[in-house]
Amino acid sequence: MNLTTETAQVADFQLSTTVRRPAVQGSRERGRVDFSSMNTTAPAGSNPAEDADVDVATESEADRKARFERDAMQYVDQLYSAAMRMARNPSDAEDLVQEAYTKAFSAFHQYKPGTNLKAWLYRILTNTYINLYRKRQREPLQSHSDTIEDWQLAKAAEHTSLGLRSAEVEALDHLPDSDVKRALQAIPEDFRLAVYFSDVEGFAYKEISEIMNTPIGTVMSRLHRGRKLLRELLADYARERGLGVKTDARTAVPAGARGKEQEMQK
Amino acid sequence: MSDCESLGNCADSRIERLYEYLDGALSHQDLVDIKDHLDDCPQCAEEHDLECVIRSVVKRSCTEVAPSTLKTSILDRISQLKTADH
Repeated sequence: MNLTTETAQVADFQLSTTVRRPAVQGSRERGRVDFSSMNTTAPAGSNPAEDADVDVATESEADRKARFERDAMQYVDQLYSAAMRMARNPSDAEDLVQEAYTKAFSAFHQYKPGTNLKAWLYRILTNTYINLYRKRQREPLQSHSDTIEDWQLAKAAEHTSLGLRSAEVEALDHLPDSDVKRALQAIPEDFRLAVYFSDVEGFAYKEISEIMNTPIGTVMSRLHRGRKLLRELLADYARERGLGVKTDARTAVPAGARGKEQEMQK
Repeated sequence: MSDCESLGNCADSRIERLYEYLDGALSHQDLVDIKDHLDDCPQCAEEHDLECVIRSVVKRSCTEVAPSTLKTSILDRISQLKTADH
């Protein structure tokens, strides 16, 4: 992927033949870092394990690289999962994550230690996606969502979601992962990413607004509409699979087979 | 539905209120009020449960593991780069 014309919000790359790997990784003594204590599922906001007292101005290049490898590389799986919701196939998702990490490393001196590194990485990932893929597709996001949304929202309004019975709730819980991914892919992209950032990563509205570079009110609107569409699609899929049986949920839902299928995918 | 008005005066605004409740975007007093209401109202409680199920299903389905080669190729690539001077 050629990034030479890329002028995203992160610094330009400076290729260098003189750069060396640090002789000893993490040679500077830092506060004890306990990665296992990080709760990445909690509502994001802070990552206490990343040290706030690094002096970026005087930090050596080798130290910065070691700090990047230690603090940023732990999110590869998470960024890859998000990239799969953007790029839609594993190969493009890999390219996207690699591109985002390369940019993040080049701009790492701009990252303020002690602030939310994961959100910072997600913002770079999202920018990279917008700049590389969306431009390539020449498919403006907003117009896309405008067209799909109308009929889907109208459809969603047909049966108020308050009408779902407990059997259907249980049926949703037993949908295979492939159905859930299909439903997510089917909703407009800006809604999908907002829902993903909120439900999967637990980012707060403000963080999502920074990641997506959009006002908080827009984030809330995307979340609200995206969730409505998503639950409607999921309910449809559950019904298609004959799971939404409106009798006693505990006896009517063929939970065993689905449950096993999900277990095997984990 | 009159007893549900603490959450909003239509189904849509009640759902929105539940989203904010689950997103941790409400004040402490609002959280307490909604929790009290959910304890008393089976219909809203079911709506709440449905939303929780959807979120857990989305989360479960979207947790992927990157190919093992990806991390290596990222590290290889950044080894060829120099962070920008400042």
